[in-house]
Amino acid sequence: MVRRRTPPDPAVEAALARVRGRAPQMRPNVRRLAAFAGVHSCPTAAVAFAARIDTDRLLAGTTAEMPFGQSPFAIGRGIAFEALLRKHGHAELRRVLSDGLGVDFSLAAIENLREGYQPNRHGLLVRASVTRGRMAEIVSNPDEPVVLDGAVLRADVGGLPAFFEADEMAIGVNGEIIVGENKSWPVVDGRPTDEELLGAALDQAATYILLGRRTLEQSGIDPARISSKAVLVTPRNTGLAPVLHRQEVGSRIRRVDRLLRGVPNVNDIAASVPPSATFDRIADASLAEEARLDAFGEVTEELGRVYEPAACLTSCGLAWACRRCVFAFGGPALAGGHIAHALPGVVTLVRVAQLGRGAPPSPAEAPTAAPIARAGRLYDEVLPPGQPAQQRPA
Amino acid sequence: MSAALDAFLAARVYETGRALRRTSLRHTYLADEPLGVVMWRLGGERFRAAAIAWGSLGGPFRLAVAGEPRNRDLYFRALTPFAVDLCARVRRAATQKVARQNGRQQELIPVGALQIAVPNRATVGALGLLGRYLAYLSDRGGVAPDPALIEAGKHLRFYARHTRVAGQSLLVPLDRLISEHWATLLSPFEQANLAALDAQIEPPSAVHAFDASAAAEARTRVGPDPAEDIDRVTEALLAEFNAARGGRADPLAVEPLIGPLRGHYQRLVDPVWQLMNRVVAREQQLPAAPSVQRRFEADREAFGRHVDWVASGGRYRTTDTPRQAAMTLRRLEDAHARYEADRAVEDPACMIPYLLSGNAIRGVVASVNEIRVAARVNRVRRTLIALDTDEPVVLPAGKELWWTATAGDYPWDVQAVSPLGAGSRVTLMLRAAPTPARLPTVGERITLSTLHTGPDAYHLPLPPDPPWTHRPAAPPLSPEPIDAGDSEPPPDAVDGAAVADPGRYV
Repeated sequence: MVRRRTPPDPAVEAALARVRGRAPQMRPNVRRLAAFAGVHSCPTAAVAFAARIDTDRLLAGTTAEMPFGQSPFAIGRGIAFEALLRKHGHAELRRVLSDGLGVDFSLAAIENLREGYQPNRHGLLVRASVTRGRMAEIVSNPDEPVVLDGAVLRADVGGLPAFFEADEMAIGVNGEIIVGENKSWPVVDGRPTDEELLGAALDQAATYILLGRRTLEQSGIDPARISSKAVLVTPRNTGLAPVLHRQEVGSRIRRVDRLLRGVPNVNDIAASVPPSATFDRIADASLAEEARLDAFGEVTEELGRVYEPAACLTSCGLAWACRRCVFAFGGPALAGGHIAHALPGVVTLVRVAQLGRGAPPSPAEAPTAAPIARAGRLYDEVLPPGQPAQQRPA
Repeated sequence: MSAALDAFLAARVYETGRALRRTSLRHTYLADEPLGVVMWRLGGERFRAAAIAWGSLGGPFRLAVAGEPRNRDLYFRALTPFAVDLCARVRRAATQKVARQNGRQQELIPVGALQIAVPNRATVGALGLLGRYLAYLSDRGGVAPDPALIEAGKHLRFYARHTRVAGQSLLVPLDRLISEHWATLLSPFEQANLAALDAQIEPPSAVHAFDASAAAEARTRVGPDPAEDIDRVTEALLAEFNAARGGRADPLAVEPLIGPLRGHYQRLVDPVWQLMNRVVAREQQLPAAPSVQRRFEADREAFGRHVDWVASGGRYRTTDTPRQAAMTLRRLEDAHARYEADRAVEDPACMIPYLLSGNAIRGVVASVNEIRVAARVNRVRRTLIALDTDEPVVLPAGKELWWTATAGDYPWDVQAVSPLGAGSRVTLMLRAAPTPARLPTVGERITLSTLHTGPDAYHLPLPPDPPWTHRPAAPPLSPEPIDAGDSEPPPDAVDGAAVADPGRYV
C-alpha cells in the first residue's frame, strides 16, 4: 500500500516547534528509526520522535545524559572500511561482489551518490530522484550489473518526509535489485563477533528493502524485483579485507513494515499534545540540573511514559531520566519488564512489598496478590528478615 | 525463575534500600586466590587488548600495555608476559593428579585447576576472541611467534568455551556470579554492570541501593569496551606515543614513551581490581553448597583433558562438525538440568520458584505405612506416605516427585490428592523397596519436587555418520590463522563530532 503524502500543515509545524522549544533537532535516519522501534509504545518517545527532538542530546550536561557516544577508533575503523571498498574505483567492492554474488562486477557501473550533491535537503531530494530513476533502469535493462553507492530513499514517517541513505542500494544483477550494507565489525570462522550488531545491520537492510519496494511500487514496478535476501559486507578476521554474506530478511521486512505503519502521525500528535507540554526547559543548559530533570518529570507525567529497561537503556537518550522518575514513584518496571508484566493491577513496588507481607488485596490486585504473598512467606521462612545488611561508610 | 518471586524481591529491595540474597548457599566454587583478569580493548577493535591486567585476587596486579595494540610487534611484546604467566599457572595447576574411579576404569584428574575471575560476561567474550586469534598465529617474515602466545591462546579459548557449561567455575564472570546469588533492583540488562551490582549490595550508609548503583554506573567503568570519553583520552595519548616513537618498535625506544598510556589504563584498572576483590571476598564468606565440589571435579576433569591435549600438540576445531555440535548441545543441556536440580535440592531458597509454579510441594508427613503391591511376578514391599501441605495442591495421579533428601534415588508416585483444611493431603508411594534412608518420619517437614539429581536415561551413542539432514555441503574447515590483517596500517581515529552520522560506521 502506498501512503499518501500531504504537505506539512503550518499549524502542525508550529505546534511541534513549540513542543521542541530549544531542544536539539535530529534528522530521521534508519538508525533513529531502529532506536525508536524499541520504544515506540512510549508516549513521550513518540512525541519526541514526531517533533524531531534529538533525545540523545536533550539532557546533555546533566548526570542523566546517556553515554551513547562512539569511540573515535571505532568510527575511524568504519570510515577506513568504507574507504577501502571505494578505493581505486571501488576495486575491493567489485571483487567482493563478484566473489559473493557469482556475477562479474569488474566492469559494472558504480555510481557514487555521496559525491557531487549538495549536503542538504535539496541534495537529498535530487539523490532520491536519481535513485528512483536508476532502480527503474536496472529493472528494465537487466544485462548490466549496476551499483548505487549511497542511494537515498524517501519515506513518509508519521506523516513527515524522511530520507534514508543506504550503503549499496540497487546492486542490479539480472534485473533483480539487491540491497547491501557495509559494517566494520569482523566475522571470524563464518560467525559474527557481535550478534547484536548483526541483528541491527540486518534490520537496517530490511528497512532499505522495504522503502525500496515502496519506491518501485510508486513507479508502477513490481516491488518483488527487490530481493528479500540482503547483502552484508564486513571485514573478515583481524584486518579490513571484506567478505560478503547473504541473509534472508523477509521476517524483518514485515516487522519494519508494521513498525513504520505504527509510527503515530504528527497531525494526531500535534492535536493531542497538551498546550503546556514542551521540552524547552529540559534542554535549557542555563538551568540547574535539578530544574531540568524536574521539568522532564513534569513533561513525561503529562504525556505519559512507558519505561522498559531492556529497550529504553539501549535505544533512548531519555532512559536514565525516565528511570529516576520510575524509581521516585516505585514503578515495578524499574526492575525489568518481566516484573511489570507479572503485576497487573498492582501499581507500585511499595504495594508489592505490602502484599508480600500478607496485606489484604483490592479486587484489582487479587489475581496477582496470592503468588506474591506466597513468595513472601516462603522467602521469609528460608531467609528471615532482619539479618544485618551490608553497608560501607559513605 | 518465578516472576512473583522476582517481583517480591524487587519490592523488598526497594523498601529496604539494600540488595537481598537470592540463595542461602554459594553455588559456585571459589578458589582462595583466583587469577583475576581485567581487559580494555581499543574501540571497535575486537582482537586488540589495549591493556590487560592480571594477578591473584587479593594481591596486586600486573599490567601490560602495548601502546599501539594494532602494531603486531608491540602488541605481542606486551602480551607475552601475560601469556607466559598464564601458561605457567595452567601447567602448575595440572601437574599434580589424583586417581578417580569411573565405573571399572581408573583415571587421573588434576588435584586442582586454575580458576580465572573476570568482571563480566563481555570480558569472557573478549578473552575468547583473543584466544581464537592467538591460538592459530601465522609466521611473519619467517619469524614464528612466541610459543607461549599460541599456548595461551588455546587456554583462553578453552576457558571461554567452557563458560557455556552451567555451574562451571573455571572462568567466573563476576556479574553472573552476583546476579545468580543476589536480588537487586537492576533489570537483567543492567545486571551486566558489576559496579552497579556491587553498589546495590553494599551501598554507602544512608544511600538507597538505586542511587548507589546509578552513581557507580556513571563513575566506574568496567570494560572491556571503552566509552567515547575513555577513548578520546586514549586517542590523544596514542597519537603522542606514535608521534614520539616515529615508527620504531624496539623496546629501548618504546618503553620510555609508554608511561602516559600506562598511567591512563592503570587509572581504569585500579577501581575494577578493587571491585573484583571486594566481590570475591564477600562471596567467599558464604558457605558453599555440597554439589559445588562435584561440579568443580567435573571442571578439573575438563581442565585436565584440555591441558593434556594442548601438551600433545592438539588443535581444536574452530567450527564443530554436526556430530560434535549435537554431542556438545546434549552435554550442555544435561549440565544445565543437573545444575538447576542441585541448586534447588540443596538450597531451600532456590526451591521457592518450583514451589510457586507447582513443580514442588512442601508439607508435614502425617503417616508412613508399608504395603505390598503386585509387581510383575511377585508382590513387593512399598511405602505409602500421607503428606499434609500448607497450600492447595493440584497434581495428577502417577506424577513422579523426588524427595529432596534422596533426589538422586527413586521417585515417589502421586497416588491421590484430596483437600484438607487450607491445603491438601497428598498420598505418595515410593517406587522402590523401603529402607530407613529412603523414608521420612512422621511429623517431618519435607519437600518433594520434579527435580532429581540422578541420570535421566542412558544416552545412546550418536551414529558415527550423521543423517543426510545434518550433513553440511562442505565439511568444516580446519582451524586457520586469522591474523592476515596484522600487517595492515591501523585506521586513523575520527572524532564523532566531525562526521554527520557517526552511528553509520559502527
